[in-house]
Amino acid sequence: MTTNTTLPATPTRRALWRRVRLGAVAKYAWVTWAYLFLLAPMAVVLGSSLDGTTAYSGVVFPPQELTLKWYRQIPASHYEALGLSLALGLSVALGACLLGIPAALGVVRGRLPGKSLFLAFFRAPMQIPAVVSGVAFLQLYYVFGDATGLFLNATFVGLYLGHLFVATPYVIGTVVSVLQRFNLRLEEAALSMGASRWSTFRRVTLPTIMPGVHAGALYAFMVSFSDVPIAMFLTAPGFLTYPVELFFGIETDFNPSVLASASLVILFSLGLLLLVQRVIGLDAVVHSRG
Amino acid sequence: MNTRWDYLLIPSFVISFLLLAASQITFLQGSLYTDLGLGRLATSASAANYATLLNDEFYVNALLLTIRVSAIATACTLLMGFPVAYVIARMRSRWAMLMLAGVVVSSFVTIVIKVYGIIVIFSADGGLNKLMMALGLLDRPYTIIGNQTGVVIGLMQFTMGFGVLLLYSVVRTIPVSLEEAATVHGASRIRVFWRVILPLSLPGVIVGALMIFNMCMGAFTSAALLGGGRVFTLPVLIQRAVIIETKYGMGAALAAVLLVSVILINLISVFLLKRLRAARLVIA
Repeated sequence: MTTNTTLPATPTRRALWRRVRLGAVAKYAWVTWAYLFLLAPMAVVLGSSLDGTTAYSGVVFPPQELTLKWYRQIPASHYEALGLSLALGLSVALGACLLGIPAALGVVRGRLPGKSLFLAFFRAPMQIPAVVSGVAFLQLYYVFGDATGLFLNATFVGLYLGHLFVATPYVIGTVVSVLQRFNLRLEEAALSMGASRWSTFRRVTLPTIMPGVHAGALYAFMVSFSDVPIAMFLTAPGFLTYPVELFFGIETDFNPSVLASASLVILFSLGLLLLVQRVIGLDAVVHSRG
Repeated sequence: MNTRWDYLLIPSFVISFLLLAASQITFLQGSLYTDLGLGRLATSASAANYATLLNDEFYVNALLLTIRVSAIATACTLLMGFPVAYVIARMRSRWAMLMLAGVVVSSFVTIVIKVYGIIVIFSADGGLNKLMMALGLLDRPYTIIGNQTGVVIGLMQFTMGFGVLLLYSVVRTIPVSLEEAATVHGASRIRVFWRVILPLSLPGVIVGALMIFNMCMGAFTSAALLGGGRVFTLPVLIQRAVIIETKYGMGAALAAVLLVSVILINLISVFLLKRLRAARLVIA
């Protein structure tokens, strides 16, 4: 770069101020618009679930007359589906951690050749389109069932394996990214001061990778809890996860009580977010994204 | 003490490998058997499903439509999301946390719930149409439900929260001091953006774009619910073939075509990114 002997001409203060202000206004207008786009659908669902005049033909927003009656009319099938989704999400998060933490430690700490190849392998499920994973697991269960007589489609185990497949890479990603920033000296210090290997792992290594584990577990839970394309193929009538139940609800009966149960899920997500912020901090979750 | 870390890898690797290999191999194998109706499959393998697919304009158009809709949604998400991510990343007040929370909530809530919201907002007798007609901006209701615009908006709702979080972590890797240095030397904001922010964030943005694109290619909720049965993307056709028509062979063949196209597009993008790096158009 050539050195400038003369500084660029300074614009007059007013012109500068006008330019800065115009740019800032444009920027904030854009951000406001993006947030409106991002949050409006959820706000509308929350709002119209409270509307007493809501008829079956169409949903009214903003609400004309406040009521909680739709919340009392949430069908039992929605609660069952929510229960299944919660149980599935929690166990998938746990399983993804059990698979993902050792994998991340092995890849980052081990002395295997071709580390990046292993990482690429573990990330593969993220590259496969979700709908393909759904079809693939359904086919696998048919073939497996034909061979052994044990059909896993529309069972908890079958659904669990499908979700575990797509959720584990999230835990591996977040733990790997925390491990790569980890200071090895901390472990060396603990070992040299006489701590055993197990105690070093439990007292030094594990606490430091915990933010990554939390974030990964949260992602794994959310992936399972909000998934449609995989659960669509691995569930059956009477055994539906919540998003799939809602998916069919749109096509068959557009009932305001659906909006009420959807609102409960939005409120649950907000509650989960508050809990995350209190316990591990939102920063930890966002920063350890793999 | 180093060798023991390697052993940790084994159980996870074996389970992941089994899940990956078993599911992918069985479905690819399944795609070789033609459907005889009522879920029965032919006894001998052939490439007949693929021949039907590739000779039928309907399926080829569906593939092109899927790629187009996903690419448009990815571009719109990046365009809309980048300024948001930038503003949050450079914010020094407590508001940043709140704004981040809004994004995280959006990425938590399942797309089906958001689709309900979109239907309420954009339906012919919905709030937006009433507002626009009251203001005299529209003289008859305009709806996005049942056309490609609706599908793109649905896909954007699906990826936006995730995309902003991704771009946020990309922007956080660019030190503010670089921007300040450019500004001190007389660069305008626009110039700072083109010469500092964009080149430095481009590799991360491209990687993020591919992830968002992959998400769009595998999603059928938006297309199935907002397409109103008129927008046939490949995922919608796969779901119909397998669940409604019980044509497992055809469904598997369609899924294989989708998988191969996604892998090819990813490989080409990675190759192009390497070329860009070699030409020093991108710093990374």
